[in-house]
Formats: sequence, C-alpha cells, structure tokens
Amino acid sequence: MAWSNSKIFMAFLEDCLENAAALNLASDTHKAALYDNDITPDQTVSAANSTYNAGQWTAAGNEVSDGTEWDAAGEPLTGVAAGFSSNVYTFDATNTPSGGSSATLANVYGCLVYDDTTADRGICYNYFGGVNSVTDGTFTIVWNASGIFTITA
Amino acid sequence: MVPVLRRNNFWYCPNCDQKSVTHEPAPHSRFHTCPGLRGLSAPMLLVGTKGKVELREREDYVNGDMVALDPERNRPVMSIVTTRDNGQDVAVFAPTATAKGA
Repeated sequence: MAWSNSKIFMAFLEDCLENAAALNLASDTHKAALYDNDITPDQTVSAANSTYNAGQWTAAGNEVSDGTEWDAAGEPLTGVAAGFSSNVYTFDATNTPSGGSSATLANVYGCLVYDDTTADRGICYNYFGGVNSVTDGTFTIVWNASGIFTITA
Repeated sequence: MVPVLRRNNFWYCPNCDQKSVTHEPAPHSRFHTCPGLRGLSAPMLLVGTKGKVELREREDYVNGDMVALDPERNRPVMSIVTTRDNGQDVAVFAPTATAKGA
C-alpha cells in the first residue's frame, strides 16, 4: 500500500466537535510537509498517529525536505481562509511555494497539512497523484480551487 | 540618504503571448491562466531564461479525489513542469481532501 487519495483525519474532526483540542483553523499556524511513497496514509488513525513526525508521518526516511528551500517539518501556509458558504465548509490558503528558488526535492508524492500551533496535529493529507521532483528550482503546491479540504453537509 | 530601489522582474510565457512584471524582492513564481496550456494556471519564465513549460497528467487513479482537470480534455492533471537550462520547477496541483469514504 501507499498513497491512494486525499483525506481529512477523522480524529481531527472528532477533536474539533468534542472540544478535545484547542484547534483553530482560522488563527493557528499551519504547515505542509512533503512525503515520499514509503508511507500509507490512513484517515482513521488516532490523533497521536495523525501528528507530524508520528506514525506514518515519521519524518526519518519518509519526509522530503531540502534545508531552507523546503524545510524539514514543512513550509507554512499563508493566506489561510476558513469558513462556510451554503452547506460547504472550506479550508484554503494561497499557493505554497518553496522557501527559495533552488530547491532539489525527489520522490514527492503528497503532503501532510498539520496545525503547527496545537501539538502538530494532523488536519488532512493531500495526494498529488504520482511522483514529483524538482532540481535547483521552485516547488509550489497549487491548492485546488475547492480548497485544501472541504466538508459538505 | 539611501534611495529605495524597486526591483522589476519581467516574465514571459513560452506557450502564449502573455508578459508580466512583478516587483517582489523575495524568490517567487509568476502564474497566469495560460491559453497555451488549455486555460490552466501555469508559471511564467523570467525574461532571459530559456525553457519549456509542460503539463503532466495524474499518474494514478483519481480514486474519488477532487482533482484539477484539464479544461479541454477533461483529464486529471498532476503538475506543470518548467524545464530550464539550469534546473527545473514544479507546480503540483493538490487535490482537495474530503472526509468521505475510506
């Protein structure tokens, strides 16, 4: 098994709905960390195992980074927007570029989006759909027009 | 007194006629809606840099993901790769995560 789709962690939803963790999508700092294909993301893991550098998201041997070009532990999301319109709740941000213009990254398959303010709690994971790499250049995550994640009631 | 100079970054697209100028001092990419790449949001190249900008389709099944689609062919797209003489840039289209399904 490996990456197969893009999902919101159920533990994240539970902790939000049951006031079990002080997660605030609108005001917290969030990051996107890149991963290779050695992992098998699962939306039903526990809160502890949805956290950055735990469970499948263990950094050693799995995370892809390049110094300050794409930092270990991820690049920060900017321009975050969270809210609902009609019956759709959307979490979004402006596109996330590498920290510099000379990134070298290999075997990038997807990213973990997590709350850097609240105990590195995983929010969702996004599968890019195949292998991606960059050589001495810029790596940019272009978030979908429908957002980083969406919940339709 | 130190004069404040404004940096001009001139951009062009090898797939269409569009040109642009930015003034951002930090490293950045300039994106535009490219008619040469079927209306997708694509990066531009700095004037003086030779290169090509290509679309790559998704390599795996969509599997229920909310993916970016090629507006003309309706095929799922994964990334846009810019190949320069001295390196390569990639813009990956991240699908939207949902809570639906396993």
